[in-house]
Amino acid sequence: MITRFWAESATAVATMVFGLVIVKGALEFGIGWDSSGPQPGAFPFYTGLLVALASLGTLAITIGKRFAGSGGLQEISLDGEQFRRVAAFFLPLLGFVLLSVTLGMYVATILYLVFAMRFQGGYGWLPSLATAIGAAAFFYLALEKFFQIGLLKGPLEPLLGL
Amino acid sequence: MKNLCIAAGLAAASFGFASGAQAWQPTKPVEFVVTSGPGGGTDNFARVVQSIITKHKLFDQPIVVVNKGGGSGAEGFIHGKAGKGDPHRVVFGTNNAYLLPYVAKLGYKYSDLTPVAALALDEFIIWVNGSAPYNDAKSYIDAVKAKPGTFRMAGSQSKDTDQTLTSMIQIATGAKWIYVPFQGGGAAAVQLAGAHVDSNTNNPNENVGQWKAGQVKPLCVFSPNRLAKSEPVFEGKGWGDIPTCKEAGLPLETFQMPRTVWLPAEVPADAVAFYADIMEKVSKTPEWQEFVTRTAQTGRFMTGKEFTDFIAKDDAANAKVFEAEGWVVK
Amino acid sequence: MDNVASLMHGFSVALTTHHVLLMMAGVLLGILVGVLPGLGAPNGVSLLLPLTFSMDPVSAIILLTSLYWGALFGGSTTSILFNIPGEPSSVATTFDGHPMAKQGRATEALSFAFLSAGFGAMAGVILITLLSGWVANFALKFSSPEYFAVYFMTFASFIGLGGASPLKAIVSMGIGFALASIGMDSVSGNVRLTFEFDALLGGVSFLIAVIGLFGIGELLLTMEEGLKFDGVQAKVRIGDVLRTAAKLPRYWLALLRSSIIGIWMGITPGGPTAASFMSYAMAKRSSRHPAKFGKGEPEGVISPETADHAAGSAAMLPMLALGIPGSATAAVMMGGLMIWGLNPGPTLFTERPDFVWGLIASMYLGNVVAVIVVLATVPLFASILRIPFAIIGPIIVAICFIGAFTVAAKPFDIWLALAFGIVGYVFKKLDYPIAPLVLAMVIGDKAEDAFRQSMIFSQGSLSIFWSNPLVSTLMAIGLILLLLPLVGPVARRLRGRTAARTV
Repeated sequence: MITRFWAESATAVATMVFGLVIVKGALEFGIGWDSSGPQPGAFPFYTGLLVALASLGTLAITIGKRFAGSGGLQEISLDGEQFRRVAAFFLPLLGFVLLSVTLGMYVATILYLVFAMRFQGGYGWLPSLATAIGAAAFFYLALEKFFQIGLLKGPLEPLLGL
Repeated sequence: MKNLCIAAGLAAASFGFASGAQAWQPTKPVEFVVTSGPGGGTDNFARVVQSIITKHKLFDQPIVVVNKGGGSGAEGFIHGKAGKGDPHRVVFGTNNAYLLPYVAKLGYKYSDLTPVAALALDEFIIWVNGSAPYNDAKSYIDAVKAKPGTFRMAGSQSKDTDQTLTSMIQIATGAKWIYVPFQGGGAAAVQLAGAHVDSNTNNPNENVGQWKAGQVKPLCVFSPNRLAKSEPVFEGKGWGDIPTCKEAGLPLETFQMPRTVWLPAEVPADAVAFYADIMEKVSKTPEWQEFVTRTAQTGRFMTGKEFTDFIAKDDAANAKVFEAEGWVVK
Repeated sequence: MDNVASLMHGFSVALTTHHVLLMMAGVLLGILVGVLPGLGAPNGVSLLLPLTFSMDPVSAIILLTSLYWGALFGGSTTSILFNIPGEPSSVATTFDGHPMAKQGRATEALSFAFLSAGFGAMAGVILITLLSGWVANFALKFSSPEYFAVYFMTFASFIGLGGASPLKAIVSMGIGFALASIGMDSVSGNVRLTFEFDALLGGVSFLIAVIGLFGIGELLLTMEEGLKFDGVQAKVRIGDVLRTAAKLPRYWLALLRSSIIGIWMGITPGGPTAASFMSYAMAKRSSRHPAKFGKGEPEGVISPETADHAAGSAAMLPMLALGIPGSATAAVMMGGLMIWGLNPGPTLFTERPDFVWGLIASMYLGNVVAVIVVLATVPLFASILRIPFAIIGPIIVAICFIGAFTVAAKPFDIWLALAFGIVGYVFKKLDYPIAPLVLAMVIGDKAEDAFRQSMIFSQGSLSIFWSNPLVSTLMAIGLILLLLPLVGPVARRLRGRTAARTV
C-alpha cells in the first residue's frame, strides 16, 4: 500500500504548495520595511517562504534517506486493512458533510447515524432510528429552541413546518 | 395570526400612535446580523434593539442575533447581500455600510443594501491624558503643529472612523500626528490613560471610565451642538460642559457616526416601511432613551429621504478624505 | 485590609438563595456550551445577554460569570474524554488528559482537571481581592512593545519543546502563522490572503482548526489503529474522585507555578489559551522525566488546567478596572456592563462597590459551586465512554461538524473542519507536531499587530523593545527561554562527563 516514503514526500509537497500560495497572496501588498515598520505583506510573505523552505528541507531529507536506505522509509505507512478501516469511517463522514450542505444538518445527522449504526455497527432498525432521531431532536431543542442558534437547514424542514 | 394582530395593535396603542394596517409582517424568525464581534458598539446597539422589541412585543416572531464581524464588518454586509430579496434578514451597522467598499476590495457594494433607518449618532471627542498640559483644543493642536510627526494619536482600526477623523483634523489644521491603530476603542482608551499615546478621538462611551478617574480629559466634541447635559463625570464637569470643536476654534465642525439599520436589496417596500416603523417605535421607548443617554450618544431617528440625504452627505465628506489619503482601492 | 472588609460585604450581596440558584443554573448551562465544541463561552454569554437586561446588574453578572466557569470546566471534559477541546483554552489539556482516558484513567484525569482548575481559579480571585489597585496600575504600564514581549515569551517557552524534527515544527508553526494572518489586517486596514473568497473575510477560526485537527483527526487515527477506545471501559467509582483529590497535594509545585503563570497571563494580554500552553511547556521543561509528557502524565493535565482557570478569573480584573477584556468572553461581558449602565474603569470599584465586590465574592462561591457540580458529573461523563464506539463515534462526528457550523453559521466552515481533520490525521501519522500550529493561530496575529504597532511607535526602530526596564526584562526572559533548549543539552552533557569521571 502506501509507504512512509510516499506519505512523507506527498505531505512535504503539499505544505510547500501551501507556503507558496501564501507567498503569492502576500506579494499583493508590500513586503518591505518602511518608516512605520514592516508592510502588511511582510509577515505572511516570510512565514510562507519559511514553510516552503522547511518543506523543501523535509523533502530533501526524505529523498536523501531513501537513497541511503535508512530511516525505515520502506515501512508500510498504511496497509490494506488499515486503509479499509479508515475508509469505512471516512466515506460516511464525507457523506455526512455533503448531506449537511445540501439537505441540512438535521437530516444529515439522522441519515448518517442510522447508516453508521444499522449497517456498520450492526444494530437493529429500532435502536438505530431511536438514537438518530433522539440525537437530532436534542440538537434541535438545545440549539434552535434554547440557544436560538439556527443550524444549516435544507428543503425538508420547511415541509415539516420547523 | 389573530394573536399577532392583537400584539401589534397593543404595541401601537401602548406608544400612543396608530400604525394603521400593516401590509407586511415577518412570517418566520428574523435574523439580526451584527457587523461587529460580540461586545462591540454595533453589537450593543443590536442587542438593545432586540431586547426592546422583545420586551414590548413589537413583533411576534423570534429574533436570532448573529455576529458577523469579520473584515471590519464586511462579512455581515456580504451576508446581507446573500439574502437578496429576503426581508427576514436585518443588518445592523454604522457608516461602515457605505464606506467599507471604498477602502477594501470586498464582495459587496452599497447598492446591495436597502437603507432602513438610523437611530442615533455616536459622537467623537478629542481626548488627551489627564496630566497633559493642554486644557483646550487650540493649545493642543498648536503644540502638535510646533513639533510635527512626534505626537501619537491612538484609534480603533485602520482606515476607519478614527483615522478618517484624524486625517480631517490634519487637513483642516495642518497638524500632523503618528496614527497608531489598536484593536478597538477600549485599547485606545487604556493606551491614553497609560500615557503611551498623546491623544485619541474615542466615542464618549469608550473613554468615560478613564475620564471618571481623571486619567484622561476631553478637549472638544465634533458635534454642531454641545452634548446633552448630564451628571458631573469628573471634577464637576459633565458631557454638556465639553465645548464643541467649533467653539474651541477648530475649522472642523461635525463628525458623527450613525447607528444604522439595513435590509438586503430588492425587498418589498412594505417590509422596509415595517422595519422603519418598528425602529421608530424602538427609538421612542424609555429604554432606548436611557441607553442613548448612558452612552452619551445623540438620539436621532432618521428614515426615508432624510436618511438617504444624510448618507449622501456623509459619504461625500468621507470619500474626499479617502481620496486625499490615497486609501481608495481600485 | 479595606479589601477584605469590602469582600465580606460582597459575600453578603452574593450569598442569597436567588444568587446561588443563578450560579448553579449558570454553571450547568456553561457545562452544556462548554461540552459542545464551537459553541464556546463567548457565544453562551452573548446568547444569555438579552435575558439579563431585565435583571439587576449583580444577578446578571453572577449568571454570566457562572456560565463562564461552567464552560471552562465543560471544555476540559471533552478534551479529556474525546480529544475534542470544547474551549480553545482546553487544547493543552488534551495532550495528557486524553492519553490518560485511553489508559482507563478517565476518572482520575477528570478529577485532576477539575480540582486543579478550581485551585487556579481561587488563586486568581484571591489576587483580585488583595491586589486589585496595584494590578490595575501595573497593567497601565503595558503598551504594544510590552504586549509583543509577552507573546514572544509564550512562543519562546514552547519552541524546542517537542522531540519532533525541527523542520516539521517550523512547517507546523508557519502554517499556523499564515492562517492567523488571513482576513482583515487591523494595522493597515487591508484584507489579506482571502484570494477574493468571501468566506475567508472573517479569517480562519481557531475553533474550526481545533475541531478538525484534534477531534476528527483523532477519530481517524483511532479507526486506523482499530482501537475503538480500548481500555476506557474502566469502572467509575465515587471513591476514585476522592482518591485523586488526596493525591493532588503532591503536585503543589505544579499548582503554584501554573497559578502564577495563569495570573500573569490573565492580567497581561496573553489570555487563558496562551496561559495554558505556556504552563504546559514550563511543566514539561522543569519535569525530571519530560518523556512521560504526552503519554498520560497527571502533571500535564494539572498544569494547563490550573493556568487556564487562574487566567480566566484574573482576566476579570483588567476588564473591570481598565476596560480591557483579557479574554474573548470578558469582551462580551464588557458589552453587558455597558448595557447595564456600568462603565468599566478605575472608579468602578469605588462607585459601585456592591457590584464589584458582589461579583468578586460570587467568583469564590461560583467556583466552589462549579467544582462540586462538575465533580458530581464525572461518573456520568466517564460512563459515556462505555457506550460502544459504533454509536458514540458517529455522534462525536455529528457534534464536531454541528459545532463547527455554530462557530459562525458558515457552511464553508464545515468543509474547513473536514480539511483540518485530514491534516490532523496526516500530521499525527508523520510526526508533525500540532501544538505549534495551534499556538501560532491563537497568538500569531496578536503578536504581529503588537510588533507592527510598536514599529509605528518607534518609526521603524527595533530599539523600542529595550526602551524601558519592563519591556527589557520581558524580552530578556523570552530570550533565555528561547536559548535554554540549546544550552540545556550541552550543560547536561558536561555534567554527565564530570559525573562519569568521578565514577
